[in-house]
Amino acid sequence: MKKFSGTREAFAAAMTDMVREGKKNYFVSPDSVGAMRSIPFAKEFPDRYVEVGIAEQASVNVAAGLASCGLIPFVGTYAGFLTMRACEQMRTFVAYPNLNVKFVGINAGLVGGEREGVTHQFYEDLGVLSSIPGFTIFTPADAIQTYLAVKMAYEIEGPVYIRAGSGREIDVYDENSVFNKNGVTLLRNYGSDIVVFASGFILDRVLKAADLLKDENVNISVADVNILHGKNPSKIIELITKAKVVFTVEDHNINGGLGSYISQLACEHSPKNVYRIGLTTFGKSGPAKELADSFGYSPEQLVNKIKNKI
Amino acid sequence: MDLNGLNELAKHLRLETVRMIYEGKDGHPGPALSIADIVTALYFDIMNINPQNPTWEDRDRFILSKGHACPIYYTALNEKGYFGDKISNFNLRALGSIFQGHPVMRTTPGVDMTSGSLGNGISIGAGMAIAGKLNKKSYNVYIIVGDGELQEGVVWEGINVAAAHKLDNMIVFVDDNNWQSGGAVDKTIGSRNIKERFESFCWDVQEIDGHDISMIQKAVKVAKNTPGKPHAIVCKTIKGKGVDFMENNNAWHKGVPTDAEFESIMAQLGGRV
Repeated sequence: MKKFSGTREAFAAAMTDMVREGKKNYFVSPDSVGAMRSIPFAKEFPDRYVEVGIAEQASVNVAAGLASCGLIPFVGTYAGFLTMRACEQMRTFVAYPNLNVKFVGINAGLVGGEREGVTHQFYEDLGVLSSIPGFTIFTPADAIQTYLAVKMAYEIEGPVYIRAGSGREIDVYDENSVFNKNGVTLLRNYGSDIVVFASGFILDRVLKAADLLKDENVNISVADVNILHGKNPSKIIELITKAKVVFTVEDHNINGGLGSYISQLACEHSPKNVYRIGLTTFGKSGPAKELADSFGYSPEQLVNKIKNKI
Repeated sequence: MDLNGLNELAKHLRLETVRMIYEGKDGHPGPALSIADIVTALYFDIMNINPQNPTWEDRDRFILSKGHACPIYYTALNEKGYFGDKISNFNLRALGSIFQGHPVMRTTPGVDMTSGSLGNGISIGAGMAIAGKLNKKSYNVYIIVGDGELQEGVVWEGINVAAAHKLDNMIVFVDDNNWQSGGAVDKTIGSRNIKERFESFCWDVQEIDGHDISMIQKAVKVAKNTPGKPHAIVCKTIKGKGVDFMENNNAWHKGVPTDAEFESIMAQLGGRV
């Protein structure tokens, strides 16, 4: 049986475990207690649950106020309602004064928002946050990694954003895995000619694509990037340097997320072709698997996109 | 300090405020003079603070939500002793100065929260007030907002949160001078029923003369003795109060006095040339 049924349940489990461990974590909810799967948390720890109603800007401001008094609040709700509607509050009242507020943005990407449609699918969050100084950005690839990311966020001083989904995430990592502080984990190594960097909940698809390419004797490796714009990207740079050609795959707009980050590292440290696979349009409503397939994320289409460039 | 002393101090802080803007050649004198008496009452009578320990966890908190009025805030902190020896040249808005164009937490000792982007003070203050209750502290959170600022949507999110959480440890002063950047508030958007709007959100509300320090003191006492609700004190004020040619003249929302004007200000506010 799966340890967590999704990233939201993983968030709630981490929050619960941290309170039991004696940590000072609080959950600030802009009416997201249900969406964040935190109703049992709120019942068990009513003093750790701060409800502000459907008011995302206030949720970030209230969290800033709590953090200024030494508490460690986690604001969790839909990724875009945080990073777009409350973007200025995240910038001016959290990042600028370097307050210790953590954010968990759910429904990230097509896979996260799926049937809800464009209003509840968010593929711009990383682009928005990438230009705000001081944010640590975590992009866990599954529920197990999300649990670990929430716990690691607590230990970091200053603002952290964790990108999460809505239950359609496929587990890739082992229960005993760690959230890699290097910001990158090599998961397939069939050679270093081609390196594919993936981030988020399409990782299972990228791994399948690599396995298919291996069967065709393509010299390829796959690495999961779980921290964007981390303080020490040397392991990522190492992989870029070894490769002849680089690909990125992400469930986010092609600009501003993983593709932009890896392109920047390649340009500055080891220039070579970087091909970005991601979204260039708004999404549509649909079940996660069909939706992701229709936007070019099936393993077979990923194989073709990679083969077309090599 | 007795009432006479507080009134004299408010006059002195007004002078220092305008001097800072005159010397720095930039800033917002009108909005700062409007709240000089509220700031004086808070920093020199009402608030439980310790300038030697600006981050003391039991201190009363203050947020200047209308952050552009910061020169009066900076002079009050200076007079209170937050910067050690008193500063005579603030270098307001100058490169490298700790007196930034709008208040910045962790840059200026005594500033509890960054501000300047209008509308955010009440919800941030609500967070501080909730933290006070969660931490079982007895501090109060004081916030000054502008009347024009109430047009921001996030203000009402914060007002809603404060009422829902029964934050009776939170006192909001509304600087009701009927001016905003572009003109008169009632000509800009119409609605002037500030008291009724706060009351309809289940706040405890008083209306006072915002230039009468004894009324400010009394209103805070009444608020502290009214449990179960957050408090709004709607202060009728005059933008530019204390300098005759700035009073009710919105040209002084932002502006720098000429040498001749500054001489007149010195004469009006008891400065020495």
